[in-house]
Amino acid sequence: MLDDDAVERPTLLLVDDEERILSALRRTLRREGYEILLAESATAALRILSERPVDVILSDHKMPGISGVQLLARAAELQPKSVRMLITGWTEEIPPERMEEVGICALVTKPWNDAALKATLRKAIGAAREVS
Amino acid sequence: MNSGGDQVHIIVVRPAGSDTPDPVAILERLGPEARIDAVADAERCLSHCAAGGVDLVVVDERLGPDCDRLLEMLQPDGPPVVLLQRDAQEGRALRAFRKGAAECVAAGAAFAEVLPVVALEQIQRRRALRERGAAERRIRDLERDNRNIIQNLNSALLVVDSSGKIVFCNPLAEIILGESERDLRGRSLWDWFPGIPPEEIHVARALANGERSKGGESQVTRADGSVVPIGISCAPVSNGQGEEPGAVAVFSDLTEIKQLQRQVLQTEKMASIGQLAAGVAHEINNPMGFIHANLYQMGEYLSDLRGAWDSVEALQKAVARGEVQDIQDAAAQLAAASDEADIAFVLSDLGKAIRESQEGSERIRHIVHDLRDFSHRDSEEQVLADINQCLDSTANIVWPMMKHLVLLEKEYHDLPEIYCFPMQLKQVFMNLMVNAYQSIDECCGDTGKMGRVWLRTELRGKGVAIVVTDTGVGIAPENLSRIFDPFFTTKKVGAGTGLGLSTCFNIVERHGGSLRVESTPGAETSFTVLLPNRPPGTERRVG
Repeated sequence: MLDDDAVERPTLLLVDDEERILSALRRTLRREGYEILLAESATAALRILSERPVDVILSDHKMPGISGVQLLARAAELQPKSVRMLITGWTEEIPPERMEEVGICALVTKPWNDAALKATLRKAIGAAREVS
Repeated sequence: MNSGGDQVHIIVVRPAGSDTPDPVAILERLGPEARIDAVADAERCLSHCAAGGVDLVVVDERLGPDCDRLLEMLQPDGPPVVLLQRDAQEGRALRAFRKGAAECVAAGAAFAEVLPVVALEQIQRRRALRERGAAERRIRDLERDNRNIIQNLNSALLVVDSSGKIVFCNPLAEIILGESERDLRGRSLWDWFPGIPPEEIHVARALANGERSKGGESQVTRADGSVVPIGISCAPVSNGQGEEPGAVAVFSDLTEIKQLQRQVLQTEKMASIGQLAAGVAHEINNPMGFIHANLYQMGEYLSDLRGAWDSVEALQKAVARGEVQDIQDAAAQLAAASDEADIAFVLSDLGKAIRESQEGSERIRHIVHDLRDFSHRDSEEQVLADINQCLDSTANIVWPMMKHLVLLEKEYHDLPEIYCFPMQLKQVFMNLMVNAYQSIDECCGDTGKMGRVWLRTELRGKGVAIVVTDTGVGIAPENLSRIFDPFFTTKKVGAGTGLGLSTCFNIVERHGGSLRVESTPGAETSFTVLLPNRPPGTERRVG
């Protein structure tokens, strides 16, 4: 059960090896009321996941070393309640069964549509809260 | 030689019941090596001769008009005719010779001695003539066969004298050189190799040093300026009589082969570019993603600023009116609006968003530039190019595809610009880098480990070396000798054309360089391209 504070302000972890993407995502979601955490690699993201609870992880897939899908699989073990999403231009490379296995609830393509991205996040967080 | 082998065949024609001396009896003294047939009239003699194998005809002039008939019928190809004259008169002998008799023998005291000698002499002369005729026919046949072979040869052939003047050429040589044999004879072959120093023309080398060459490539420039690529072999020739030697060259038109080569090159390049497309799309997609998002956000910032600007204008109007209370209200309104919209943040972040977007568009510009650069075709001539730049711009194209899996290290040393076909070399570099990446993908993909690729350039002697090293799976020793063979591939079906390395090999060879490989499976694999540094137009150009 999430505490009241977290219900007020969900934590969003953005992962991408491209710093400019993180910067633009933060800009887009600035007024959405999230506490936004940024990680420039899967390793950095795993460090954050081991230190604190995160409500939503939105990760790039093609990253040096550990890929997005591999990161989200680890995240599913570390924080099973987290909402896990991929944002990538490489949609064709991830088989649907693998998405299901890792529990990836949405796949956002780059370049993203701001309004659609915001709506997807809101919907996913709402659904996750209903379950919990 | 006649069918009777060494036995000579003599026909004696004499009236029936003729008296002594009997020529048949005299000739029989020649022994078993002579076969003598006696006939009584011209008809039987002629039928013997028609059957063939008759070496000599001896005719008794008492046969009368049949003598003349026989002389007439047996000329000019038949056996020689010896005329037996019963009473020697000079005028008659002369007449007989004029009619074609080979010899006249008078039936006098020495008749028995003279006739066999004359007969043998005639037979020998005829045989010698026949042999010479046969030899001449053989020579004529050989000449005709040779001419047929040379005229119908599927290659051009020409012979030059010691000064390089054309002394012979066949029809294909006429076609390739663009002129008829009549115009070609006596012309200097060097006319077709303008601007090329003699030491680089193989025919000239064959003349100067007796050098033989097999399968060189060159090109001839015709009088009308058109250029034909040719493959050529040549060798020095001498006529065996100590006369000044010349050279013979066999060559063929490579235009079609060159076109096919270019097609293979282009096809292979397109296949490679296909492999890169996803990586390049990703590389463009990322900046597109944040520029797109930033533009949208900048629009939001603009409406925030416009809202604050409305409050600024209201304040200006209040100041113009001069009412203190109005001014205070407007100022408070402006402060509240600025606060609400977080104008201080908006202003600083707007600048940041613009800078980041500019940088992103610059990145797209670069990748598109490199890609466009890459899809160019080379000109026909070699150009001066910076090999470090060729390697680096290729690395820029390949990098997006591999960067999630590969640490790329570059070690470029100062190099002189060299004459080359830059696009073809970039294709070689791309193939080597893509192979390096695929090899790393095979051992590191999905393990979370990263591979390493080194790009190194350096001067080696007068030439340059480009070394691409990777830490991928490596090449099994039994495959090392086959990797440059066309269609040899160890990649999965559909993952490679099997032409990549063979194309690389051909391109490097075309530059007069070499491509080498060393591999320690499990450790590292290096491909080394060595390119000579030499003036343009000397790439495998021989004549």
